[in-house]
Amino acid sequence: MKEYTDLALDIAQKAGVSFADIRFVEERQNRVYVERRSIKLIDETESFGYCVRVLINGAWGFASNTHLSKDEVARTAELAITIAKASAKVPKDEPALMASEKAYVDTCKGPCGEDPFSVPNSEKAELLLDTCNTILDMPNIAMTWGLLQFIRTHRIIANSDGSYLDMTNYFANPMLSAIAVVGNESQSRDYQVGGRQAGFEYIREIDILGNAKKIAKEAVIKCNAEKCPTGVMDLVLDPDHLALTMHESVGHPTELDRILGWEANMAGRSFIKHEDVNKLRYGSEIVNFTVNNELEGGLGSWFYDDDGTKMQKFPIIKDGILISLGTTRETVPLIGWKRSNGCCRSDGFNRFPINRIPNLYMEPGTDDSVTPEDLVAGVDKGIYIEGMGSFSIDQMRNNFQFGGDMFWMIENGKKAKPLKLVTYQAQTTQFWNSCDGIAGKDYWKPHGVMNCGKGEPMQSMRMTHGSSYCRFRNINVGGAKL
Amino acid sequence: MRDKNEINALLEEILSKVTAPQAQITYSYESDLASRFGENAITQNMGGEEEGIRLVVAYGMKHGSSIINRVKSESISNLIKWAQDIAKNSPEDPEYMPPLKPQSYPKVPQSFYDDVVALTPLDIAKEINKTVTLAKDKGYQASGLFHANYSIDALANSQGLFAFLKNSNLSYSTTIHGPKGSGYSSESGESTTQVDSEAMAKRAFETAVAAQNPIDIEPGEYTVIFEPQAVEDFLEFMYWNMSARDADEGTTVFAGKVGEKLFSEKVNISTRIDDPELPASQFGQDGLPAKQIIWVKDGVIERLYHDRFWASKKETEPDPIRYPMFMNGEANSIDDLVANCKKGLLVKRLWYIRYVDRKKLLLTGMTRDGFFLIENGKIVSPVKNLRFNESPIVFLQNVVGMSRPIRVNQWSKVPGIMSENFTFSSKTESV
Repeated sequence: MKEYTDLALDIAQKAGVSFADIRFVEERQNRVYVERRSIKLIDETESFGYCVRVLINGAWGFASNTHLSKDEVARTAELAITIAKASAKVPKDEPALMASEKAYVDTCKGPCGEDPFSVPNSEKAELLLDTCNTILDMPNIAMTWGLLQFIRTHRIIANSDGSYLDMTNYFANPMLSAIAVVGNESQSRDYQVGGRQAGFEYIREIDILGNAKKIAKEAVIKCNAEKCPTGVMDLVLDPDHLALTMHESVGHPTELDRILGWEANMAGRSFIKHEDVNKLRYGSEIVNFTVNNELEGGLGSWFYDDDGTKMQKFPIIKDGILISLGTTRETVPLIGWKRSNGCCRSDGFNRFPINRIPNLYMEPGTDDSVTPEDLVAGVDKGIYIEGMGSFSIDQMRNNFQFGGDMFWMIENGKKAKPLKLVTYQAQTTQFWNSCDGIAGKDYWKPHGVMNCGKGEPMQSMRMTHGSSYCRFRNINVGGAKL
Repeated sequence: MRDKNEINALLEEILSKVTAPQAQITYSYESDLASRFGENAITQNMGGEEEGIRLVVAYGMKHGSSIINRVKSESISNLIKWAQDIAKNSPEDPEYMPPLKPQSYPKVPQSFYDDVVALTPLDIAKEINKTVTLAKDKGYQASGLFHANYSIDALANSQGLFAFLKNSNLSYSTTIHGPKGSGYSSESGESTTQVDSEAMAKRAFETAVAAQNPIDIEPGEYTVIFEPQAVEDFLEFMYWNMSARDADEGTTVFAGKVGEKLFSEKVNISTRIDDPELPASQFGQDGLPAKQIIWVKDGVIERLYHDRFWASKKETEPDPIRYPMFMNGEANSIDDLVANCKKGLLVKRLWYIRYVDRKKLLLTGMTRDGFFLIENGKIVSPVKNLRFNESPIVFLQNVVGMSRPIRVNQWSKVPGIMSENFTFSSKTESV
């Protein structure tokens, strides 16, 4: 590829760029999807393309192509230059500038113990069919679906800093859902383990088939359960649930591009101002969040982001105080910071890289002896929530309402009975400041999110969250009209 | 961009190499210019094109599929090998539907215009500059997306069916922020003559100006007037749920409701293929010819969507397409609805809508980019955004007035709607 990358960068340099890069993305995907007892999809997908990004006089141009030849690479670079000149007609107050980054030459490959593209599709199909048939054979189950998705992404990035990066990552994403009908009631229950940067060994490690009956039974339990009570009460939340809560109320508001207003037309902005860093009390003193784009198996561990920045690990909320943000090379100079922390990614060869949520997790409690049962024992009246369900948050990331996938009433320190249709509403900092208990590290669990939507045209991104079980005090529960 | 004959020849050539007894190919081509702006400047500016080929083959009831995005011999060989290998080794699918015989397609309004193909990045930047200048001159901030796209969708199969559709589309949207409030507007069309970007920017700007310094309002039940954008935001979820199979299995709110009056008699929802303001495709699932379908008539559920398999089980005709979605309205403007409202809230746009209870179709979400208090037929003040927890079913039961329908996007044309007893449940400081 070097002959092509040199050609594109040479054309860009001659056009007077302050920064340019060319990024090749080759992707293989394999999906097996079953609905009820029907194999709806088994496919193999191959995608290849590249893009040239140029920054000329502080204005961006970007062009993509799937045809690979010297002429086509040159044409793509020229189109990017033409587009950058058009962008200059609506210039920024401060011309865009890329924070400096070292030149890296590196070849990296992510974890993959068993190549999923070598595992017969028939084996994957039989696993999902057995699982869905097991669920459908259970009483009161009306519908089920399951998905196994495997992706191999090979990126080559060369930029005007002198970096040349060759990176391969594997992603595995299992999903399963059961939907029950009892009388006029219908409820679903999912097996939610999240995606992971891994090969097929991840599917062998988890137990999809072994969880089929459990989720089918719990879907029925939910149908017969009492509805969500209303009032102010305590919550104990499991890691699979908290993955989504932190994604929406910590991950997105700490994206610097949102803080700068660049997402205002679609995903919205943020209640945070960059001046809040090192001042804003985001959560209680026991709340600590870490960005870790070096996390083994993390969906966001891409070695280098699409700006060519080496990925990093750093605290973002320490002892409850906001101390950093997720940034890109273009955003950090605008707030006077020197270096990006590597949160710039795109979802394909034909999309402009943008500020994305990194692997972001909550640290376990400092007392390793604390168990989830201890947290429950400290609740007189509250709700224990497992897994992700309904979720919605305002465009500044203040007011949110979350549901879950399985709910239990807590009475006098014990899980008393199942519930359904539980929702809780809070403001972001109020919620994280109400955290008064976190279980120890033995209960910490990662959860990979495969489909975070952001940007226009929409881009879908992957990252891993994680936490131990946590307790929150005095939260408004049951505001929804059921 | 390949022409129709080239694409037909390409798909025929691929089909000729397939040895499986049944095969279907879908071809797509997209060319995009997408210019994104934020804080009064272009922040991303993109151009590119991509082809895609999807092959589905079957041996009896065993099927497999593959996708490539490059038309070259090695990729096409992979395409065929992968799909055939998968199909040969797959378990049988009891719901597999074989390829259709050649179909006759209806005439539909023009959906492709050369003026979109001729657009340059500079043309788009000039349009964006007008929006930005409008905002900047008043000390406001404009953000948005101008997306120009033209595309081809084609379908061919081993039975000799060939279907072809060429489309162009422009969509332009902007959000304009003042210090204490914002406004949003969007337009879409198949030709540059159908998108009035200056009028659109003016609407967003006027909303932003009116939205400044919102007052606090308590959550509760209100009469609401949803502008068409908010109606579309809200009804999308209901429309997705209008599946015959899901209803028959008891998992949606439409279970057992066909033939019942579920909404106000003012409510009529259909798929149309004859409106030049919102052109439809000539063909839908597996190449079935598009046709007009009435889903809701005078408030009564007339029909739910049947895919080919479920239609065969239920011995009815499959529904080829669901979109574009049309909802009838009344001969009113939004101003007329406001004038007829004693006390209520005007909603411009909704955000982050999700299920709370899928069976009941209870949804939650937020208001955004323009939310106003109406008293005695007049807008009296902007108000702070609220979270709602409400069902589109209730919303459409409680309709008391509608405006004329307008095209909201590429897939829907709906009116503004005035509805009573709409439930808001909590507040936010976000503006």
